Amino acid sequence: MTAPAAPVTRPVTAPPESRPPLRRRRPPSLHGTLSRVIIALIVIVQVYPLAWLFITSLRTEHDFATGDPFALPKAVTFENYARAFETGNLGMNILNSFIVTMGANVLIVLLGMMAAYALQVLGFRFSKFVRSLFLIGIIVPVQIALVPLFIDYASINLLDTYPSMIIPLAGFALPMSIYLFCSFFEYIPRETYEAASLDGAGPYRIFGLITLPLSVNTVVTVVLVNSIFIWNDFIFANTFVLSEELKTIPLGLQNYIGAMGKTDWTATFAAVCVTITPLLLVFLVLNKAMIQGLESGASKG
Amino acid sequence: MLPNRSRLSVLVFLLPPLLLYGVAVLFPIMQSLFLSFFSWNGISDMEFVGLANYVRMLTADDIFWRSFFNALGYLAICLVLQLGGALLVASLLTSMSRGRELIKTLYLLPAVISTVAIAFLFVRIYSVEPVGLLNQLLHWIGLGALERPWLSDINTVLTAVSAPEGWRFTGLYMLIIYAALLSVPKELEEAARLDGASRWQLFTKIRFPHIMPVWITTTIMATTYGLRGFDIPYLMTNGGPGQSSELLTTYMYKTAFISTDFGYASTIAVFIVVECLVAVGLILFMLKRKADA
Repeated sequence: MTAPAAPVTRPVTAPPESRPPLRRRRPPSLHGTLSRVIIALIVIVQVYPLAWLFITSLRTEHDFATGDPFALPKAVTFENYARAFETGNLGMNILNSFIVTMGANVLIVLLGMMAAYALQVLGFRFSKFVRSLFLIGIIVPVQIALVPLFIDYASINLLDTYPSMIIPLAGFALPMSIYLFCSFFEYIPRETYEAASLDGAGPYRIFGLITLPLSVNTVVTVVLVNSIFIWNDFIFANTFVLSEELKTIPLGLQNYIGAMGKTDWTATFAAVCVTITPLLLVFLVLNKAMIQGLESGASKG
Repeated sequence: MLPNRSRLSVLVFLLPPLLLYGVAVLFPIMQSLFLSFFSWNGISDMEFVGLANYVRMLTADDIFWRSFFNALGYLAICLVLQLGGALLVASLLTSMSRGRELIKTLYLLPAVISTVAIAFLFVRIYSVEPVGLLNQLLHWIGLGALERPWLSDINTVLTAVSAPEGWRFTGLYMLIIYAALLSVPKELEEAARLDGASRWQLFTKIRFPHIMPVWITTTIMATTYGLRGFDIPYLMTNGGPGQSSELLTTYMYKTAFISTDFGYASTIAVFIVVECLVAVGLILFMLKRKADA
C-alpha cells in the first residue's frame, strides 16, 4: 500500500514537543489519574498482542497446545526459530523484500525530487494541472490497477519479476513523496537560487549543488515512511509474483503454512517475529523522523 | 520561477516521474474504465458489452450488494476504532507530562507490522482450540457464555475481521490529531479556563473547532483507507464463511483472479473508485454545511 495521504487542509505547524503540560492547581487530580489509567489500558491493548506474539514464539509446542495463553511459557525454547528457518525460505524472502524496498525507494526519491523540483522551483504554466494529476494517485485505491497491470505485464512478460512489484509500489507512492518534497522546497529561500543563477549556475547545477544536498533530511523521512508500506506490501506481490524465488516476506509468511501441511503455529510465530524485526529495529531507532514524516505527510498534503 | 531555466530543463525533470506515474497509475485507471465495458476472460476475444456489466452489478448481483453493505460495516467499525481511539488518546496525551514520546512510539508499533503477520496474530487471538486470548479473557471475567469461534460465526465474523484493521492504524491517526492539538493556541485555552469553562467545554468549544481541518483530513484518510481495505479480511477468512465477510475489494479480487472475469472485475474496481470519491465528497459537503450553519 502507498503512504496514506490526504488532499485537503491547511498546514499545521506543531510547536516543539517540549511544551509544558496544561497547568493544574492540585497535582494528583482525579482527571489526571483517570487519563493515565485509560492511556495505560489502551496502550496495553495496542502492545500486548505483539508481546504475546513474541512470547508464543518461545513456547514449546506442548505448552502452546495445552497451556493458558496469557501465562508465561513454562520453558523457553528457541527450537521454533530453528524450525522456522528449516521449513521456510526466510532468508530468501528477506533478501527479496530488501531488493524491492530498495528499488522502489530509489525510484521514489529520485523521481519524487525531480518532479517536486520542476513543480516547485522551476515552475511552468501547467504546473497546477500536473499537481492535480498527481493528486489522483493519492485518492484512487491501488486495487484499480491490479487487473490492467496484470494484463499489461502478461503481454510484455513482466509478470513474476522484481519490476512487476517495484513499478506499481513506486508509482502509487510517488504523489505523496512529491508533496513532501514540494513542501520542503518551499522553505529554501529564493535568494539562494537567484545568487546561484547570477553566478551562472543553470537549473541542473542548482539541483545538484543546492537542492539535492539540502534535502537529506526529507529524503530520510520519505524513505522511512514509504519503506513501511513497501516492506509490508501484500497485494501487488500476491498478484504479480508466482515463483518461490521472488517471494517477499508477506508472501513467504503466507506460504509457510501451506508448506507445512497443517499449521505449525509456534514456528509460524517465530517466523513472524524474525520478519518483523528488521523494520521494527529501524522504526525504534529512527521513530522520531518517521513520526515527524507521518504527521507532516498528513497535514501538509 | 528560476531565472535561468529553460523549457527543456522543465521537461528533463518532469518527464521521468510522469512516465513512471503514467505507467503505474494513470494508464491503468483508463484501462480499467475501458475494460469495464467488455466481457473478457483473458484468453478469448474481448467482447464489447456496453453497460451490461454495470447493469448486472447494480441489479442482478446479490453478492455485490452483500459485499457493499459489508464494506460499509467494515468501514464503520474501522472509523470508530481509528478516529474515536485516536481522538481519545491524543486528548488524554496532551495533559500528560512524562512518557509522551514512549506512548507515541508504542502506539504506532502495530502500523509497522505487515498485514500478513497481523492476520496470523488475530486468527490466533480469536481461536477456540487451543484457546485464544479473547475467549480466555471472556472466560476469566465471567462472560464465558460469550465464548465462540469468532471467525466462523456468521454473526461475528465481519466485526472480527474489521477490528484488526482499526487496531492497526489507530496510532497513525492519533499522531496526526495529537500534532494538531498541540497547535491550539495556549492563550485561547487559558482565557476559556479563566472564564470558567469545564474540560468538556474546553474541548468542544476551543480545541475541537481548532483542529477541524486536520480532523477532516484524518476522516477522509481513514474513510478512503477503510473502503479499500483488503489484506486482512482476505487473509483471515477469504470473505467467508459464505459471503459474510466479503468486501467489495475481496469480491473484485476473486472475480478477477479466480473467476478470471476481467471485464466484470474492472466494473467493480471502477465502482470502488467512485465510492471513494463519493465518500470524500460527502464528508466535505456535510462538514461544510455544518460549518455554514
